[in-house]
Amino acid sequence: MNRSSRIIIALTAILAIAGGILIIDWVQRRQVAQVVGTSTPLPAGSVPIVFNGKVIAGFTPNDLDKLQQVSFVEAEQGKTQQGWLLRDILLLYLKPEQLQDNTQIIVSSSSQEKSAKLSWAEVKEASNMVMFDLSNRGTLKLVSLLPQLKTRNYWVQDADRIEISTP
Amino acid sequence: MKRQYFSTFQLILLALFAGLIVIAKIALRLPLQLPGHTGIFWMAILIVAARVVPRPGAASLVGLSSGLLSAFLGTGDFGPLDTVLSYTMAGVGTDLALLLLGNPENLMTATIAGMAGHLAKFLVKWAIGVVSGAPIGFVALGLARTLVSYLVFGALGGLLGGLTLAALRKAGFFAYLEEKR
Repeated sequence: MNRSSRIIIALTAILAIAGGILIIDWVQRRQVAQVVGTSTPLPAGSVPIVFNGKVIAGFTPNDLDKLQQVSFVEAEQGKTQQGWLLRDILLLYLKPEQLQDNTQIIVSSSSQEKSAKLSWAEVKEASNMVMFDLSNRGTLKLVSLLPQLKTRNYWVQDADRIEISTP
Repeated sequence: MKRQYFSTFQLILLALFAGLIVIAKIALRLPLQLPGHTGIFWMAILIVAARVVPRPGAASLVGLSSGLLSAFLGTGDFGPLDTVLSYTMAGVGTDLALLLLGNPENLMTATIAGMAGHLAKFLVKWAIGVVSGAPIGFVALGLARTLVSYLVFGALGGLLGGLTLAALRKAGFFAYLEEKR
């Protein structure tokens, strides 16, 4: 087999694998019609927002266009984290008067079995940079400058639920 | 006495390349907000390693060693398993591509091998996400964009590796290695 044939085989294999990944992802997206404790189906990939036990909305990629991007450099490895403030996301669906300083906000990931519990006072303070960054696989990860979320061990990767409860 | 697959000298070289990958991953940061951009450095190192120690499995061993080192250092957002497997598969992907294509001193070969190795890394990260039940990517175009970014930076890394090999040959490094043998 000459070099050209080998190159064609290698490139075909690379394209086939890449195409396979995209097709499987597309099929998964079509199959998922999330229903989270409500009869309202949420779009695939959206993150349900639960307020006092009731699903009030699903945070979708379209919402990102309405939000301003922020970034910070994390101390652990000096990587820039860029994304959208959780505060801004919540205020898309809730009025400020519905949130008090001691309102509890839990961001969780079912696949990573991780969660972060925060107060509205922490979330609303922009300098805390409580925000979602997009991971390499297109999922959301919760990062922040807060001490309890400062290192990647405590970040919530693949976040798929936001729960808010008022006292 | 049974001859070892890798000589001690070759193992030392491979360990150095593994260390270089980890250093590149931590210390060399491009101001790019693009996924997989560090592949430009470490696919180059993998390609160079695969030629300096011209035995099938050299890139895989460098991948495994650098993955273990990185896991101990806590790099990577998705935990040590993801780190070890993805680094190892980058080496395996590179080895498989070079088995088919031959000498990475050819720039086209190096570019495609870099692309294949980086794609293998992405494949593992994506597969772990699927198996662990990670939510489907939030941004529909996120996966395609990431995939293209991985392929481009893998190809650039491979090309950089090929150019490095050409420079090493010009500097007489391979003649020196032959002499040592």
